[in-house]
Amino acid sequence: MLEYYFPNEAAEPLLWHPVLFAYTLLVSGADLLILAALAYLSGSLRKVIPLMTMLGIGFFAVVLVGPLADLKSPHKAPLIFTHPHLAPTAANPGISLTAFQATAWLIALILSIIFALLTFSYYSHQASLTSVGLRKSLYQAFSLGVTSAEKYGAVEKVAKAVAVLMLPFLTLWGVYPATLFIMQTWNPAWRSWALLPVTYFADTFVVATALFMLVYFLWRYGSLERDVVTPVLKIHAAGSLSVAALTGLQMAMWWTWSPATAEMVEPLIPLMYVVIGLLLLSFFLSLVAIRYPATIPAVSLVAMAGTFTNKWNIIVNAQLISKTGLAFFEPELGGGWLLETAAPIALGVAVFVLLSILFPLEVRESGK
Amino acid sequence: MNEVSRRGFLGAVSALMMLPAVSAAPHTESGKRYAMLIDVDKCFGCMACVVACAAENNVPLGSFRTWIEQLVKPDGTRIFVPKQCNHCEDPPCVPPCPTGATYKTADGLVLVNDELCIGCGACVKSCPYGARYSNPVKGVADKCTFCDHRLAAGLLPACVEACPTGARVFGPLHEDNELSKIVRSRPVQVLKPHTGAEPQIYYISLPDEVNR
Repeated sequence: MLEYYFPNEAAEPLLWHPVLFAYTLLVSGADLLILAALAYLSGSLRKVIPLMTMLGIGFFAVVLVGPLADLKSPHKAPLIFTHPHLAPTAANPGISLTAFQATAWLIALILSIIFALLTFSYYSHQASLTSVGLRKSLYQAFSLGVTSAEKYGAVEKVAKAVAVLMLPFLTLWGVYPATLFIMQTWNPAWRSWALLPVTYFADTFVVATALFMLVYFLWRYGSLERDVVTPVLKIHAAGSLSVAALTGLQMAMWWTWSPATAEMVEPLIPLMYVVIGLLLLSFFLSLVAIRYPATIPAVSLVAMAGTFTNKWNIIVNAQLISKTGLAFFEPELGGGWLLETAAPIALGVAVFVLLSILFPLEVRESGK
Repeated sequence: MNEVSRRGFLGAVSALMMLPAVSAAPHTESGKRYAMLIDVDKCFGCMACVVACAAENNVPLGSFRTWIEQLVKPDGTRIFVPKQCNHCEDPPCVPPCPTGATYKTADGLVLVNDELCIGCGACVKSCPYGARYSNPVKGVADKCTFCDHRLAAGLLPACVEACPTGARVFGPLHEDNELSKIVRSRPVQVLKPHTGAEPQIYYISLPDEVNR
């Protein structure tokens, strides 16, 4: 029995605030870009590429704004880029996953922008012909000199190469927060959450597709195209089912490992049941929506509720388990946490709206 | 001319890269491997070390560079276990630091360069012992430094000097001193050996129950 227990974590149990939760939602931008790249490479789902690319860039571009509110010295944040801990030395052994991912973000974002510019090059040329003033200059710059369908054919090959290059960096981002939790922290819940990276990867696909479907529904309300909606719904259904199954499997693993582990993770279990329930519901609603596309908003909202709950449980509740695994702290949230959490997402939406003004959200085959 | 321009350009880029560079921490290295030994049998929980540390290092209220845990056995016996940063040989807190602010010196101290620390908390989360905290005043990660400023002046860490029973013994390992003699001659334990961190705080009579 322990008494007079003065651990530092009691002073600040929630070191990483719910803003991290917004951050992990913004990571879904990486998954949208993965889907866009795969669609471009496979030649299927071409109609969804513009919307996915713009939505993906909008969210991924602001992803690092997410954790800024969690830094105690945010004015020193640029040091991650100017003084990154990327190579092990005697004084600084190991490599920082955070520094590595920050570099990967920069590379992935540049590649994503190049990918977008290449795929929209011929469109930009055509748009420049009918625009005036600043818009004309912008479109001329965005056209990259692609002024004919023949030239666009050649550009497509480069765009495919860029799409291939994007994939590893974006995939790393898809699993990043989970990898950090499991590899470079000593939180007992995170370290024993063996399925966290794969759950996280599937989970971000669920958010990405839910977000895509909601935006698509609002944009094309009344004229939804089945050949766009159906494949995305199938990906969404598979993702929802995967996260529900992986969550259940992780619970079973904890229970079979040891009574001490089962006792330690006890505070996480109720919300894990909620996650399984919501994502199974989202799975069934996806199947219904394939037949009745008007129900798409219900699919998106249920899925988002499920993934929000999942992220809250993973990030906030798991952090409240003490390093000894013996205590569960009470969350102490500052007054502005909701605004702080919503701000990065709002910024992502703003970037997307700006991009959607400049670029079309529907496919123009061969630049038409 | 072209060569000169390229060199000039590279020079300018290098200069720009150097702009955000910050000076290294003021720690002076002695080439020794410092460690501490805590005899649990000698600690009676007076908290003199906790107070001395807080006063010496300006530790903010609610946070601790060193603290004492108390174990009450079923027979009512009380055991006091002082804890702090273990200045690990393979410190889990160093790799996650994105800017390299947390570093290990040649004499085995694990320190934080305040100028480089952005206060992300990665090191706080990665310490298995809960020995680190976010300093709300300085906006950086904070922890025990083995009072390196006192070591530089030839003094002992404040907690060691304040201990009335001599439960804490400090010094360089592998040298002819009290610490090395005890570590060589008596069975000693460390906290959470399963982490592989190789802590450099050695304990005598550490109860198994504490090691979670």
